[in-house]
Amino acid sequence: MGPPRLFTFLAIAVLALAIVPVGSAVFVLGFIQGDSPCVLCWEQRIGMALIALIGLFVLRYGARPFYLGLSILVGLWGTYMGVRHSSLHLARDIGQGFSVEIIGAHTYTWSFFIFWCCTAAIALLIMMAQQEDLAAAHGPRALRGLNRAAIIVFLVVIGANIVQAFTSTGPPPFVGQSDPVRFSFNPRHWVWSMGEFEPAPIAFRGRWAVEKPDVASVDPNPATGPFQGLPALAVSSRRTLNLPWRGTPTGLAYDAATDRFLVTTQDGVYLATGALDRIEKHTIVDTLFSVDLGRFVGAAFLDSHTVLAVGENKSFVVLKENDGTRTDGADRNFRYFLESFDDFDEVTRSRFTTVRARMMYVMSAAFDPATNSIFTVTVPNATAKRIVVSRFDRGDYTLAGEFVPTLAAGAPLAPQKDAPGLERLYVTAAAIADGRLYALSAAHSTLLTIDLASHQVVAAHTVPGPDRPTGLAIKGSDFYIVTASGSLLTVGRP
Amino acid sequence: MEFLNLVLMFVTAWLIWKRPEKERVARGLLVLSVVLMVFLFMLGARTSLLPGLNY
Repeated sequence: MGPPRLFTFLAIAVLALAIVPVGSAVFVLGFIQGDSPCVLCWEQRIGMALIALIGLFVLRYGARPFYLGLSILVGLWGTYMGVRHSSLHLARDIGQGFSVEIIGAHTYTWSFFIFWCCTAAIALLIMMAQQEDLAAAHGPRALRGLNRAAIIVFLVVIGANIVQAFTSTGPPPFVGQSDPVRFSFNPRHWVWSMGEFEPAPIAFRGRWAVEKPDVASVDPNPATGPFQGLPALAVSSRRTLNLPWRGTPTGLAYDAATDRFLVTTQDGVYLATGALDRIEKHTIVDTLFSVDLGRFVGAAFLDSHTVLAVGENKSFVVLKENDGTRTDGADRNFRYFLESFDDFDEVTRSRFTTVRARMMYVMSAAFDPATNSIFTVTVPNATAKRIVVSRFDRGDYTLAGEFVPTLAAGAPLAPQKDAPGLERLYVTAAAIADGRLYALSAAHSTLLTIDLASHQVVAAHTVPGPDRPTGLAIKGSDFYIVTASGSLLTVGRP
Repeated sequence: MEFLNLVLMFVTAWLIWKRPEKERVARGLLVLSVVLMVFLFMLGARTSLLPGLNY
């Protein structure tokens, strides 16, 4: 292919880039529809124009390595810009976005696609080039025909963008806005802002950088808690569990029908006797296979032979107890478990999706047979300081309700002025009985009694002694509490 | 600042067309424009430089 044809293709590409995304953005979206780009949109539009401008350099001076390399760099940077901008809205519900749609997709999502196409087109043009195209030109090439049209169209489009940029962002040092107002030729409606220069933290992951929960990070002292003068529950027994599990206890549940406890460790699921003196069955779940389960933090019996283990990231696995008639687990369950393949079969492994509890980790789980629901309770983090109780229907493991507990009016826990204090708690263990959720906070060793009908905290007690509690179960008239260090406390229910 | 950047690009294209012998100046303006674009995008995205996704 001779040089003229290559440069003709390039001129067409420059024209297409200048007219379709950059030109239509200013003339159609801007001047006709009144759309104004946000600060991120502006840079993406400028990035596209820069690729067209580099194309003009090549048309004039030849395919010099500097221009080819720079065009690829801008294309890659533009792809990043498109992904970074789109990520602000990608997780929203159907049809929800920012500003206008073009052929069913919002403008910023088109940006990623256009930059990707630009980079691919640059690669194709380089592949089409002959050796003589890449050789250093002796002087500027003459611009005729399409080449000249490309540069004229480019100047017209950039001229129009200069007008829009002046009206909607202003002269330097003003910059584009993150949430711009509608475009207008009337100076009364122009907004020139320096808002983007205001101090703001620099971060890589932004609000997604949420610290992992850690039961050891909180203050267990009840005396420093948000509620003073709480009644203390009496510890009736305390002992160390000497059971051969892998890791440390992270969750506890009890099934009265079979008189067995369910204990989870970081990746282990154990069925133990009602006296917690012997393990009957167990398995180690491959928490990294398929759905990342993180560390198990909560356990629940869904029925006497079906158990649930919930990870800190609200992912979960449901296991069905094997009745012992099948012994081919080594092959059947190799993909699910790391050891003890015959004790359980995996029923499902998935993730709980939340709304209010989104962007928060959990450290507890409980099952309520009365409503056939699974409950989780969040732990606060640096950016979300609140307790959110989420309820999931066991039928489809889908969110069925969420609430932020409040203090019951007139109860001993009357709201304190400006500081209710619930957000200072760190719930690491939970159990349900009689329509009440018992949530044990490792912070300040406080047990909350939350009425599931009114969503109110109707009582609170301190529990002396549990160092880093991680599991709570109800057996008869007692609470059973396990701790990260492997201790077991028995406490009378109030 | 976007206004300034677009003016830089307009001048650059005009130099390419009408003053092709000023390639060195035009190339300098091009690089300045690219740097300004990167700076302004990072200014707007500095609170989360990586795409806001579930890492």
